[in-house]
Amino acid sequence: MIKVQNVSKEFKKVVKESGLKGSVKSLFSRKYDIVKAVNDISFTVAKGEILGFIGANGAGKSTTIKMLTGILTPTKGEIEINGQIPYKNRKKYVREIGVVFGQRTQLWWDLPLTETFTVLKEIYQVDDARFKKQMDFFNEVLELKDFVKSPVRTLSLGQRMRADLAASMLHSPKVLFLDEPTIGLDVVVKSNIREAITKINQEEQTTIILTTHDLKDIETLCKRIIMIDKGTLIYDGSLLDMKNKFGKFREINLSLQNNSDINMLRFKEDLNLNSDDFQIKSNKEKITVIFNSQKIGVSDMLSYILTHTNIADISVNDVNIEEIVRRMYK
Amino acid sequence: MIRILKLYKIFIVQHLKKLMEYRVDFLTGAGSFFITQITNIVFISIIFNQIPSLNGYLYNEIIFIYGFSLLPKGFDHLFTDNLWIVGWYVVRKGDFDRYLTRPISPLFHTIVETIQFDALGEIAMGLILVIYSSIKLALHFTFINIVLLIIAIIFGALIFTAIKIACAALAFWIKQSGSILQIFYCTSDFARYPITIYNKVIRGIITYIIPFAFTAYYPANYILRNGKPLYCIGGVVLMSIILLSLSLIIWHKGINAYESAGS
Ligand SMILES: Nc1ncnc2c1ncn2[C@@H]1O[C@H](COP(=O)(O)OP(=O)(O)OP(=O)(O)O)[C@@H](O)[C@H]1O
Ligand SMILES: [Mg+2]
Repeated sequence: MIKVQNVSKEFKKVVKESGLKGSVKSLFSRKYDIVKAVNDISFTVAKGEILGFIGANGAGKSTTIKMLTGILTPTKGEIEINGQIPYKNRKKYVREIGVVFGQRTQLWWDLPLTETFTVLKEIYQVDDARFKKQMDFFNEVLELKDFVKSPVRTLSLGQRMRADLAASMLHSPKVLFLDEPTIGLDVVVKSNIREAITKINQEEQTTIILTTHDLKDIETLCKRIIMIDKGTLIYDGSLLDMKNKFGKFREINLSLQNNSDINMLRFKEDLNLNSDDFQIKSNKEKITVIFNSQKIGVSDMLSYILTHTNIADISVNDVNIEEIVRRMYK
Repeated sequence: MIRILKLYKIFIVQHLKKLMEYRVDFLTGAGSFFITQITNIVFISIIFNQIPSLNGYLYNEIIFIYGFSLLPKGFDHLFTDNLWIVGWYVVRKGDFDRYLTRPISPLFHTIVETIQFDALGEIAMGLILVIYSSIKLALHFTFINIVLLIIAIIFGALIFTAIKIACAALAFWIKQSGSILQIFYCTSDFARYPITIYNKVIRGIITYIIPFAFTAYYPANYILRNGKPLYCIGGVVLMSIILLSLSLIIWHKGINAYESAGS
């Protein structure tokens, strides 16, 4: 249903030299820096699947979504969704998709919500019966009733997000793209939105692609995740596999009395660890050790560190899977 | 087509509601326009008190051309004002995204979103001046004259629209093209006067390159100087079709070059 093949997106950034002289110069000869936002990504998605995109800020998630929705034209590679090429047959293609950007509304700033839905009904040519059914459904799962009369510009973030979500689903799209649909929302609204997404997916077999920084979203919604780092796809698989693989990693943060002690930590030689099983990162005062707790237990690791170095401070921290996967793949 | 009108209706009603809310804004908008125009007319009158005719054009003939020039400009202004904000910041801020995710033409979508009622001041002023000068000049209009003038107004407005589309579309590459649009738009001020007062270069530019002369001077000449309809009116139609085609090509190329914005 969705086929993405070797897709890349480059942005040209004008390099501005500083000062007035620089600005004048850049008027005549423009120097460009090429930013590779997305680099050679391939994946496929089946009908009815919910796929989650994760990755750090600036990883390329939104850029990928924008290419999938036809907003951006890929620099290289091919995208085919429902048998159509998003950026080529745009008008026809977007009829079958819904899009929400958590960061900015897709709705008309001054129109009251009811009018907004009337306009969308015209644009997508939704018939009356279908329209009524959808509105009832939205009122039930997204509780729009309290603010349907208000212009979009007066809505709170949570209300606006629910409105955007409803608007994106009015025409029963086959594919729904949600770029950070839970950003900045409180726990209750977040769970409302997750419920709505689940329902849509179950009742209409809608394929859903979402991005998020909230791993709870991923846990409740997606069986499958794709992780992007610096534009490159670094993981594509089930959340469960990922947890099995990386969930056993632990992180120890320590500061040493004598920084050169760091050379005393020879995990490879002393503990027989492979290089995929641990990583040491240090900046001036803080040292972070990430390791696979299946290969070496937390207490063994702690005692090894304590016997080989003079510790000023030490703590064992929760694992942030996203963070760990990123570091391990560097 | 009915769909288009329905959409337009919703946006217009909404716009009217907003105007009611910000009534002051509307009144000052239309008011300041009238003041500018009146100053211009007073200026022309003062000059004509010194010289009774300009390159063979009488005072009232100049008023006719001036008034006529406001009509195509006004109708374009009424309907396509949103193109300005595309050039100034919609593209730069990445807000153009939302026009690309709806199954209607992004250009049409952009345009229907606003109706600029301030333009009614321009149109009213134009009509007043044209009618006033026609009476003073004792012009006789045949039915065909009027039909051809209406055609000239419609296609003249499209010349403005085409130039606005092309300039606004440059923003897809350079992010902000408001100032370029402004420069082009301002050259239309040259076309409010008989173009014979200018030297060859300027005349050539506003006839064949940025053909604003076809939005006022030539159609007016058709009436005032018995100009050939094929050139005076046909020229408007031809120029607007050429320009509109070119600007649509630029616009579509621009959409493919659109880079959105990081959010
Ligand atoms: N319109 C643009 N012009 C130039 N560079 C851009 C543009 N949009 C994105 N980028 C760059 O591309 C890279 C990827 O950005 P993108 O918005 O896709 O990241 P993201 O994964 O969505 O991050 P976040 O989690 O912060 O939303 C960044 O380095 C960003 O600076
Ligand atoms: Mg993003």
